[in-house]
Amino acid sequence: MSYRLLTIRALRDRLARHPAGRVALSLLHVAVTAALPLLLLWLAGCSTEPAPRDTHSPVSDNGEISSFFYSLLLYLDAAILAIVVAVWAYALVKFKKQDGDDTLPEQSHGNMKLEVIWTAIPTLIVVAITVPMLVGVFKMSKRHDPNQPVVEVDVTGKQWWWEFDYKNGVGAGLHTANELHLPADTAITLHMTSADVIHAWWVPRLGGKRDANPGRTYPMSFTPKVPGIYDGQCAELCGSSHALMGTKLIVHPIAAEIEVEYKGQKVKIESYDSWVKAQQQPAKAPVAELEKGLKLFKERTCPSCHLINGLEGTDVAARSASSGPNLTHVGSRMGIAANTLVNNPENIAKWISKPSAVKPGAKMPDGLVTPEDAKTIAAFLSSLK
Amino acid sequence: MASVADFAQAQAPVYHQERPAKSGLVDWLTTVDHKKIGILYGTAGVFWLLIGGLEALLFRLQLAKPDQDLFIGTQYNGLVTMHATTMVFLAVMPMIAGFSNYFVPLMIGARDVAFPRLNAFSWYTFLFGSLVINASIVFAHFPAGGWTGYAPLSTRAYGNDGMDFWWAGLVLLAISSMVAGVNFVVTILNMRAPGMTLMRVPVLAWMMLVIQFLLAFSFPPIAVGLIFLAFDRTFGAVFYETAMGGDPHLWQHLFWLFGHPEVYVLILPSMGIVSEVLPVFARRPLFGQHAVIFSGVFIGFVGFGVWGHHMFTAGMGPIADAVFAATTAVIAIPTGVKIFNWLGTLWGGKLTFPVAMLFAISFIPMFTIGGLSGVMHANAPLDLQQHDSYFVVAHFHYVLVGGALQGLFSGIYFYFPKITGKMLSEALGKAHFWLFLIGMNMTFWPMHDLGNRGMPRRIYTYPADAGWNFDNLLATAGVFFMAAGTLIMVYNMLNSLKNGKEAGRDPWDANTLEWMTTSPPPAHNFDFTPVVFSERPLFDHKHTEDLAIPVPSEAEQIHMPSPSWKPLVVATGALLIIVGLLLFNVAPLLWLVSVAGALTVVVGIYQWVSEPV
Repeated sequence: MSYRLLTIRALRDRLARHPAGRVALSLLHVAVTAALPLLLLWLAGCSTEPAPRDTHSPVSDNGEISSFFYSLLLYLDAAILAIVVAVWAYALVKFKKQDGDDTLPEQSHGNMKLEVIWTAIPTLIVVAITVPMLVGVFKMSKRHDPNQPVVEVDVTGKQWWWEFDYKNGVGAGLHTANELHLPADTAITLHMTSADVIHAWWVPRLGGKRDANPGRTYPMSFTPKVPGIYDGQCAELCGSSHALMGTKLIVHPIAAEIEVEYKGQKVKIESYDSWVKAQQQPAKAPVAELEKGLKLFKERTCPSCHLINGLEGTDVAARSASSGPNLTHVGSRMGIAANTLVNNPENIAKWISKPSAVKPGAKMPDGLVTPEDAKTIAAFLSSLK
Repeated sequence: MASVADFAQAQAPVYHQERPAKSGLVDWLTTVDHKKIGILYGTAGVFWLLIGGLEALLFRLQLAKPDQDLFIGTQYNGLVTMHATTMVFLAVMPMIAGFSNYFVPLMIGARDVAFPRLNAFSWYTFLFGSLVINASIVFAHFPAGGWTGYAPLSTRAYGNDGMDFWWAGLVLLAISSMVAGVNFVVTILNMRAPGMTLMRVPVLAWMMLVIQFLLAFSFPPIAVGLIFLAFDRTFGAVFYETAMGGDPHLWQHLFWLFGHPEVYVLILPSMGIVSEVLPVFARRPLFGQHAVIFSGVFIGFVGFGVWGHHMFTAGMGPIADAVFAATTAVIAIPTGVKIFNWLGTLWGGKLTFPVAMLFAISFIPMFTIGGLSGVMHANAPLDLQQHDSYFVVAHFHYVLVGGALQGLFSGIYFYFPKITGKMLSEALGKAHFWLFLIGMNMTFWPMHDLGNRGMPRRIYTYPADAGWNFDNLLATAGVFFMAAGTLIMVYNMLNSLKNGKEAGRDPWDANTLEWMTTSPPPAHNFDFTPVVFSERPLFDHKHTEDLAIPVPSEAEQIHMPSPSWKPLVVATGALLIIVGLLLFNVAPLLWLVSVAGALTVVVGIYQWVSEPV
């Protein structure tokens, strides 16, 4: 019985008889030979499509540690894979049984020296990568010195949005939703928890994720370094709208306003202090047409879940696990419905007139407002800059 | 020089059975023959493989492009949950059980397993478990809590009704696996042919021995976790309810204390198959057989100490993270030893490449890729980025598809002739191999890149500007190649049953005892008990005169276990207990169904032990 390695071998022989076929074969050969390094390059992130959530363009100290280990292990893995594949491919070609050769090859049962070598070398490699890794584990879990200025924020995952409560510093007492604003070059500690199921807050450019567990609080400490706007989302399956539980991290410069690029557009980011000052203002009372929106907002029982600081009749909601995002400055946010839709009056109207159409299983009930009323309320909410 | 044909001249044995087997359907329902049970397991495995693949195909269609709404929300989550549950528990595990049932007794020169009726009981509890899980789509919805079933998403407050069917089915599967584990440990340790010392046991049987220990010791934790979940969901207990002092981390620890050994349950048998196939088609012994065996045993032991690497993001604290990261890294060493020994087996051989060999050789680089990305995940600081991202999806699919499934495919092409007496078509097999290999890499390789680009797993939709469009489209396209390859394999099997070439006893010129008997083997496996002198008894018989297996002149007296209805009766009782608990949610009085089930179990076991065999 004889078996060929490839069924295309006959085809190859036929091709090799023609000059054009030989050219095609050598092109194929180059392509196959180049495939592995190309695949590795692709893995290293050299694709043409932009990667706004690249895990290996870190903007924090934690992200840099993860990224360092990725590069280290990628090169190590590539080298090991290349050796294994080279030996494997060589053996397959070199030790192919020749037609008509029915003798047995040497019946070797193994080689103790080789076994020791190929146990010892991987052991050394494992030790060599494990020691720095352990250093990294403890470095990343190190807490900031509480005597230094630290910004601490409670992060609460809820089906399907994020709540941020600022504990200290200039922003103490602020409550925002979905968009986390932090100062650059400042020690940050987030305290992760959940109001319902397990979530995980993940902004890939910032660094690794942490689970938000119900009934537990776990700290995550880091220092953001590069001002900018970074997208992220929940990374732990949390129910029907898990895919739509987005979040944004906005890292503000400490001092003056700067301009950054976000999704191909220039966007201005004010200083952290000036953002905090704006957020601390109560909502301005609506005037003229917008007043109708506020009236409908109250009539349709929206304030039973949503607070608007400073507007009479809307700041009564008991803060509880079931309450929705604070809307005092909802007009200033970039996205709505947990970063699922761009923030504009049309999208707000679409979202509040039938929430389940935007996010399956959304806790905000359908049918509270008619499409007409939704437009009026949306105009009012958009004005809450 | 002797040949396998010599064995045909042995005298036909005297055959004894208390109650002779009936024919047809009754035979298949009452059989305790390990080979028939193996065929049942294998057939069920291939069937569920197709279903699990279909589920994957459906949700990959949803992900082919951004912002689609083919399957959204819980529909999508249900497909993902069922794809993973089906592939792990209902496809790969029964395929492994099929090989284990059919070949372990043959490889060690035994006539059956130690407890043949218990074996039939394992099969029925598996069958009922698989049906209960899938009944969710008929009576309710697909479970949508992920195959990991994380509490509290799996509890009554947040999970859907399908999760009831999920825990119920998995409890039955856990019983099946624990019982099978004990059965096969006893079989391999006690029923080896004369002269077959432990170090002469074929590597596949060795790996089966290791995984049976893993099954017996890793399923109890998940069974406990599932029963807690069942109590939470059915009787309002609060094991995972934080407001009442419960803890969702309890579930994660119980689940992964099972879940990680389970990964080795899925991969070690395929490593065993590769270790059987490579030497046959390289025509030389497995290089470093003892090293391959001991590294498998080592993986089995260390496999119980690494579960925390699934929880680096959960917040266990740096000490636990560090310990689990270090133990996980250690697994790379025995895995590397296996890979190097397979390369050593190829080196200096005289290689032929039938389809079984193609899958076995492609196992090596594909599994290596999965193993190397596993080294990345062992690195806790890096894993914080990769955990729950598509990078980890790529990793475990290279291990489970490039590794486990390719190994099982190799086993199918290698052992089909022994099971059916017919050869599979090599041409169709090659089409299967190439389609599958290309499709697999097309689907799973881009997922590494998706993970690096920050795409989380289990999301049903994604925005067009996240940079995930090209990779996702490619991944979806690859599924069609894999599906085509797998369908060709199924056609090949069905076609060969009718039209396949006769295989004879030893179509591959192989080394071990299963190739000494007829294809398919008779009910009693061997006409006489073989005597073993080395780890390659059949090779010795064919090539070394003084080590030839002695053929006795007198026929043996053989007692074979009788067919029995009792395993089916007891398994039905177990099913009724579970169904009663499910019905309790519909109408509390229906718990009486559970009582009826318990009575059936008690009566069934009483009859079982008093039945003459």
